[in-house]
Amino acid sequence: MGIDKYNLITGSALKLMAFCFNRLPGLRTHLKNSTGWINFSVGIRTEDGGVEQAIIFHEGRVRVSRIIPTDVDVVMNVQDRKVLKEIATVPPNEVLIMMLHNKVILQGNITYLQLFNYYISLLVGGFQQRTLDKIHKQDMTARKAEYSINDQQLSIELKKRHSEHLSADSTEDENVKYLSEPYLAAYSLNDFPRLEHLLEVHLNNRPELCAERPELLTKWYRRHGFEKNKQGSPWQPVLRQGMAFEYLMTNKQPVIAGYQLLAGTTTRNEACGVIVYPDAQGAMAWGELCSISKRHLNPYDISDETRTILNDIFPFWARRNFRELTRTKFNNPLGLQIDERFVAYFCWKSVGLSHTAPDFNSVLTRGTTGIKADIQRQLEIDDIDSTSRDSLEGMLHGLTGLEAYSANLADEARRLAGLENNEERRAELLQMADNCANVPCMPAATLNEAFQSIWATWIGMHMENTNTGLSIGRIDQWLQPYFIADIEKLSTDAQRNAYIKQAIELAGCFYLRLTDHMPLSPDIGNYLFGGSPADQAITIGGMTPEGNDGVNDMTYIFLKVTEMLSLHDPNVNARISPNINSDTYIRRLCEVNYTTSATPSMHNDDAVFASLRQHGYPEEHIRDWCAIGCVEPTISGRHCGHTGSILMNMVAALEMALNNGHHPLMRWDLGPETGTIENFKSFNEFFDAYASQQRFLIANAVALNNMYAEIHASCRPTPFLSAMIDGCITNAQDITWGGALYNTSGSSNIGLADVIDSLLVIKTLVFDMQEITFAELKRAVDNDFKGEPRLHALVQNKVPKFGSGDADALDMAHMVTSLIHGIYAGHTNYRGGPYTAGFWSMSQHVAYGNLSGTLPSGRLAGKAFTPGLTPDPSASKNYLDFITDVAKLKPENMNNNIAFNVKLSPGGEDNRSQLVNTMTGYVKTYCELGGMQMQFNVVDSRVLKDAMANPENYRNLIVRISGYNAYFVSLNKQQQIELIERAEYGI
Amino acid sequence: MGSDANSLILEIKGNSLDDGPGIRSIVFFKGCPLDCVWCHNPESKSRNVEISFDSLQCVDCGSCRDICKFSALAKSNPFYIDRQQCQLCFDCVEVCPGNALTRVGQNMDIDTILPRILRDKPFFDNTGGGVTLSGGEPALNMNFVGELLKHLQAEQIHTLLETCGHFDYARFAEKVLPYTNTIYFDLKIMDSTAHKQYCGVGNRLILKNFMRLVKDGADILPRTPLVPGITDTDTNLKAIAEFLSGLGITQCSLLPYNPLWREKCKQIGVPYSFTDSQQHQSWTSAEKKQQCAGIFKKYGIKTI
Repeated sequence: MGIDKYNLITGSALKLMAFCFNRLPGLRTHLKNSTGWINFSVGIRTEDGGVEQAIIFHEGRVRVSRIIPTDVDVVMNVQDRKVLKEIATVPPNEVLIMMLHNKVILQGNITYLQLFNYYISLLVGGFQQRTLDKIHKQDMTARKAEYSINDQQLSIELKKRHSEHLSADSTEDENVKYLSEPYLAAYSLNDFPRLEHLLEVHLNNRPELCAERPELLTKWYRRHGFEKNKQGSPWQPVLRQGMAFEYLMTNKQPVIAGYQLLAGTTTRNEACGVIVYPDAQGAMAWGELCSISKRHLNPYDISDETRTILNDIFPFWARRNFRELTRTKFNNPLGLQIDERFVAYFCWKSVGLSHTAPDFNSVLTRGTTGIKADIQRQLEIDDIDSTSRDSLEGMLHGLTGLEAYSANLADEARRLAGLENNEERRAELLQMADNCANVPCMPAATLNEAFQSIWATWIGMHMENTNTGLSIGRIDQWLQPYFIADIEKLSTDAQRNAYIKQAIELAGCFYLRLTDHMPLSPDIGNYLFGGSPADQAITIGGMTPEGNDGVNDMTYIFLKVTEMLSLHDPNVNARISPNINSDTYIRRLCEVNYTTSATPSMHNDDAVFASLRQHGYPEEHIRDWCAIGCVEPTISGRHCGHTGSILMNMVAALEMALNNGHHPLMRWDLGPETGTIENFKSFNEFFDAYASQQRFLIANAVALNNMYAEIHASCRPTPFLSAMIDGCITNAQDITWGGALYNTSGSSNIGLADVIDSLLVIKTLVFDMQEITFAELKRAVDNDFKGEPRLHALVQNKVPKFGSGDADALDMAHMVTSLIHGIYAGHTNYRGGPYTAGFWSMSQHVAYGNLSGTLPSGRLAGKAFTPGLTPDPSASKNYLDFITDVAKLKPENMNNNIAFNVKLSPGGEDNRSQLVNTMTGYVKTYCELGGMQMQFNVVDSRVLKDAMANPENYRNLIVRISGYNAYFVSLNKQQQIELIERAEYGI
Repeated sequence: MGSDANSLILEIKGNSLDDGPGIRSIVFFKGCPLDCVWCHNPESKSRNVEISFDSLQCVDCGSCRDICKFSALAKSNPFYIDRQQCQLCFDCVEVCPGNALTRVGQNMDIDTILPRILRDKPFFDNTGGGVTLSGGEPALNMNFVGELLKHLQAEQIHTLLETCGHFDYARFAEKVLPYTNTIYFDLKIMDSTAHKQYCGVGNRLILKNFMRLVKDGADILPRTPLVPGITDTDTNLKAIAEFLSGLGITQCSLLPYNPLWREKCKQIGVPYSFTDSQQHQSWTSAEKKQQCAGIFKKYGIKTI
């Protein structure tokens, strides 16, 4: 092979970079941290091998090699020279998109690529930023031209929803004891100046990266060792984690935010911080440390000090995070290689195992002291083995850490009280000091203490576990006894009314505290999980463990707060127990959904129970289920259900079945050879091919998930969380090892409606009616139906879709959901439990849609799939067909729940009461018909279009993506367009 | 139209929220004794099957032109279909891959209609909804409509009939009224000459029927469409209000003018000669509606 011009240019560019870093002192300082030089290497090659270069950073020297060394840390495989040229000219976020599209394929340690990107940003960051700014400016101008409706009335009307209220009497709800008017219509946000102020702070504040957590942990590990202790023996990881956690919590700065009634913050920023987890995926943001505050989608502030600290500690974690530990231990397994191509599936354990809900009831009723006593009793068992002992001691360290943090909070509150001139605030601070001195150490005695106990524990949870879907559970059930105890002490109506107002204010303070942290999404996350907050699910209503009506005073208080604040987080999930919960309650859920336009999400207890019974849990535990992350059911406080472990693109398997195992975008003969199109004699043969590809992808995702689980157990167990999950103490076993009473792993399977509709087209037109040959259809699909307008119209219009009410379409839906559930049910997770199957999609229906080709259903390449399992908008003009079809799906096949979402667009003529009644009719009937979960965006696409062009008028417009809520203006453009095009029905 | 066993149905529409209480299904009948110039369902006027062409849905694949035996289809035709040539064989509708060419009107019997309605019954039950018969004019085929209503009531479904009021009262009272829970009755123009000019027939029979229904104690809601310059004039509205108040009626409904009928006329190839004026191209404004409501209020009539 002769001399390749591109190879020369690439080499020269890298040599220039090497020269700069070797010679310029300002850059050289970045080659080391406090423990020494950072050694790593990055290779670049084109797939044909014509270009091959590596840059090697070693002991303070930077050199370029024309041969990529065998021990290289990371290689960028570039599709061809054209793409290479693009990389050199496009802004950095476009490079990410090229990676998603598999034009650039990474092999190896992504953290080092991020460090390499960081170095590049030091050289040409200014230029990159100017390019990004220019593109952003062009985009905003284009949006104004394309979308702006210039109808001020739209945003005004949306805000007006907050000023009207329905009311009700509480006679229908037997366990609402003290609220005579449960809708609390008499209260508005402006009755609560404290909440108004805190909401303004939340909406106006830009989250800031905080290095406190990783800094303290890294300090401890550097001092005491990570793999081995200072004596040179291997650490028992669970003990090490407990001790490091205790150190972190003891030394964590106690922060009490102004105006707040609850003490403590997850980060040092009292409004909103970004917690950094370099032990998970935190170092993915390395490349953006210079630019993250200037990125246009969800920018985060970062101080110079934080940047310096992170640069110092990221090298410690570069090979010690979940992903790299798994890569090393399992020799870059196939499952991981597939995951890193972004298209087929995503395994969440690279980020965390957090999708669970701790047993807050135990800390509320017994305090850490009570839990510690249980642990001590276990430790006193005579023949306890050393692993069990270490596990239990790890838990004790965790609890001691929380106690120390609370004591520090109490001191801080007292100190601030001493400085406070305002008498009212001083009293509040002293009250906080008393609360923190009591809880969570001791059982909570008042509602105020109960909130403080949960909040402090929650902070601890997030110092140990990544803020991704960690959930709170049945908060109304736990808090009602404290509400009753408080109010029973009061004798007059006036006192009681004043107390109810206080309770609303406290619940509001709690909600606003939950917004005090955001996940550290790298910019690529803005494309994959755009706008997603931490998704802290809370669950209200439903049935009590004993089978009674669970709707109580606190249920309605939380609904009031949900309505007044319209926050993107917590993610409010309302359970509906048909025939147990009242119509008054369902109507209120719908009213809150109308006011906020997007929350709560509603679940039918009967269907969820049916889905959980297959696991053989006792009935009283099933009745105590709560939602995790988006919508997923687990048994409150007893269950390690890592419900978001796999996000599977079902369409990838379909594309592979259409291409004999080859995936077009990945350009990879990945799956089994299941036959070429010409050879399928019947629809069933093709369905089997699809099933084989699906089995193959699921098997690999499961294998990867199990490897990750092993790494979690062996490298980063979570003793603090374990102390608050039923089973871990009695089993003397960490939750990551399977100590919880119940163990499952949850999947979500994305693109269901698109797969069903495509299979229906193949079955109907190719095999049943023989209108076209499979080869003709395939050719049209491969050409994006170009030159085939008739065929394109035919597949879109002449085959009834899922959601149309057609019996064959529903049968196909049963066939596919049952297949998926069956495949997962055949796998066992690392902790010995089963896998579950769900059909919700976070925002992956947009991301996966973007990375998938044209489908037999007529959906064109790059278009978003439908969200969750929502039917395609063209399936029926009658929304009731959607509801009825989705309700007929079998809950047993959907044991990780679903997300069913349409837009309802309120007509101008109808009043609030009529709109709410109609929504109530939908929800009630859907539940009666057996439907599992449903959610509405009560907003019409004109409003969304206006918000695209005039984001400043819609800063707290929340929308439901698929399972989670986000501020519309924080979404990427593709997501916004998907929401606009989503099925919409007038009400 | 149809026989007693079946009737020409335009459409069965589910999840309707604007044609009576609660969530409802609407059965649109085809054929009307009136010929209102502004009719917002022009495809429901004729008592015969028709063919419709929607250019927005057409992908121009040419399949229809290839199959047409009567050379009735050409892009050079004003509304694509030459209705002089078309024999309504619907071969083109069969081959149309999209929904550009469609058949307007299907003969349906009760066994076809009922299952499609019953599917949505749980939604009626939870919202106080039911079934609305609309059109066209459902009362054109009283035997069939009566049977359908009887079946619906037997299924415990609330029934509502929307009518122009132009029917034989005795037969209506015998066949239809006993099975109808609520009647929405259109009162358009009080001046009989103007009524004949704009609606094709005089209004004597209509007003008489209205009075009889009131007298017979039917649950009835009068409705007036607000057609600019024709029905929404002060004189006309006052006359309606006076008529209603004379009968002791305290509630009526004002229907905003819907300009979309013009596009529909094109699709079924019906030239509209009545208006191109600006006022007939937009919906009734909120202010106008309020002003009209004010007239009724003076007569003690609440408008909804």
